[in-house]
Amino acid sequence: MYISNRVFLSFLLPVIVFSILLYYGILWNVYIATHDYSPLSKGENYIGFNGFKEVFSSSEFKGAFKRTIMWAGLLVVAGNTVGLLLAISIYQFESARMRNTLTTLFLYPLSLSLVVTGIIWRWLYDQYKGINVILDPVLGLNPSWLEGSNAFWSLVLTSIWVYAGFSAMIYLASFYNVDRSLVESAMIDGAGTLTILTRIVIPNSAQGFILSTIFLALFAIQMFDLPYSMLFLNPFTETMVMYIFSKFVSLYLYLASAAAIAVIAVSAVIVIPYALYGIRRWILRIA
Amino acid sequence: MLRYRSFELRLLAASLIIIVVGVLWIIPMYSLLAGSLKSLAEVQGTPVLSPPARPSLEAVRKVSLELRDPIINTVLIVVPVALVSTLLGSAAAYAIYRRMDRVSDTIMILIAIATYIPYHAILVPLINLIKGLGLYDTLPGIALALLVYYTPMAALLMVIFISAIPRFYIEAAMVDGAGDGRIYRRVVLPLLGPGITSTMIFILIMTWNNFFIPLMLSRGYEKYITLKIFSYVGQSGTLYNEMFAASLIGSLPPLIIFLAMGRYFIKGLQAFGGGVKG
Repeated sequence: MYISNRVFLSFLLPVIVFSILLYYGILWNVYIATHDYSPLSKGENYIGFNGFKEVFSSSEFKGAFKRTIMWAGLLVVAGNTVGLLLAISIYQFESARMRNTLTTLFLYPLSLSLVVTGIIWRWLYDQYKGINVILDPVLGLNPSWLEGSNAFWSLVLTSIWVYAGFSAMIYLASFYNVDRSLVESAMIDGAGTLTILTRIVIPNSAQGFILSTIFLALFAIQMFDLPYSMLFLNPFTETMVMYIFSKFVSLYLYLASAAAIAVIAVSAVIVIPYALYGIRRWILRIA
Repeated sequence: MLRYRSFELRLLAASLIIIVVGVLWIIPMYSLLAGSLKSLAEVQGTPVLSPPARPSLEAVRKVSLELRDPIINTVLIVVPVALVSTLLGSAAAYAIYRRMDRVSDTIMILIAIATYIPYHAILVPLINLIKGLGLYDTLPGIALALLVYYTPMAALLMVIFISAIPRFYIEAAMVDGAGDGRIYRRVVLPLLGPGITSTMIFILIMTWNNFFIPLMLSRGYEKYITLKIFSYVGQSGTLYNEMFAASLIGSLPPLIIFLAMGRYFIKGLQAFGGGVKG
């Protein structure tokens, strides 16, 4: 359908301006990362890739990088597993109301601020006042959830609690999208619900798996609020974004920007293919 | 007979999984409520999971007074941001929907990339921009930063919602001689009602819960609700009743919206996650 360029642009203008600002921000990072913005100097000198070298050779950043990638991997595996399990279980109920109620139950963590989630779980993980009060007498377990390197695993668990519902929702949506006629003809052939689920519905939910994986990974890459509100800047739970933050706060802007470019690069690996192929094909259904 | 039994087993297994996992999902919310209702005397000795022996509004009352200003500030920021970003996003979506060629495709892809790249990575330039405008540590500064980030997201969501509208509505209006402004206002906006509500609610909840942007763009803890909630972590020490009460009160607006209009939030979330069309 024809639309004149003038009208096209005037409708789009604000969004284009804001998007350009975001891209400008991405590029500005390159400028800051290659100039010596630090507490000692004001960025007058070009330093080339030295900032990047400094970031990538520091053990602090390496730790943060490793932790972030590991977090993404764990959240993808566990989030998909719990999400798929929940989606399959919710799918067993025929009534739409029941399905909606259960979806709401597992999605409510997404309506909470991660700061609130961090505060609640910080206390649930408290060795003496938290869930150990039940675990200790029942299972004889009394772990120190937030001590040392344990804290990382505990935070990953909490992030699963936050995002598994999201994954379940995506899977459910892709279950509902499976062609009804396929399901019906299988039912006529006498297939049970479980057979239909394992033979037809789940194999046709590959798209749900891809989307759920993309977003779980993206959520993990930007992890900041949760670890920060639970344990502040703790060396055992530092993520890439927290590294950016701590370098920013201590005014080593060139290090913050170099790390920011690393975050952009890691997310771009996921985001760009998704934006190029996924959105048109999966969301807008344009071949 | 065999069919019947497998049916029973299947539902039993599903119910079991949901009950076990569901308890894990309820415990944090239960603890939040229980902890908020504990008095100073009780919070010192009791574990988080124990119900308050004598429920008291002591903590809630004290905290709600302190939360008043940050809540007002946050409302003043997020309501305009949600309204404006959704409106601008819907206009952009209309333009893209009308065009549907290589140009509009490229623009949409660029918008999508801007939406999904973590905004944490453009923190340094963003602060420079806000400082350059003289808006550091002001409510308009936080609002502007949120608007810059959430408007492209709103546009993306609205493109997804708008693509569910059958084209003949617009073609019919064009045959009647209506211009684009008129088609957008009179035809598209009314048809987009649920999509607009979903986008607005989604952005409202997301911005209300945002922590990183206000943290970076202001001093102190008074300008945003999540900052204020966070401030209790440092100052309340082991008195979790006040922390929980602050968390509870600060979460009420998004929680109430979620419970009352969850359908729309979920639609927004699905559009954000690419799960389902319109």
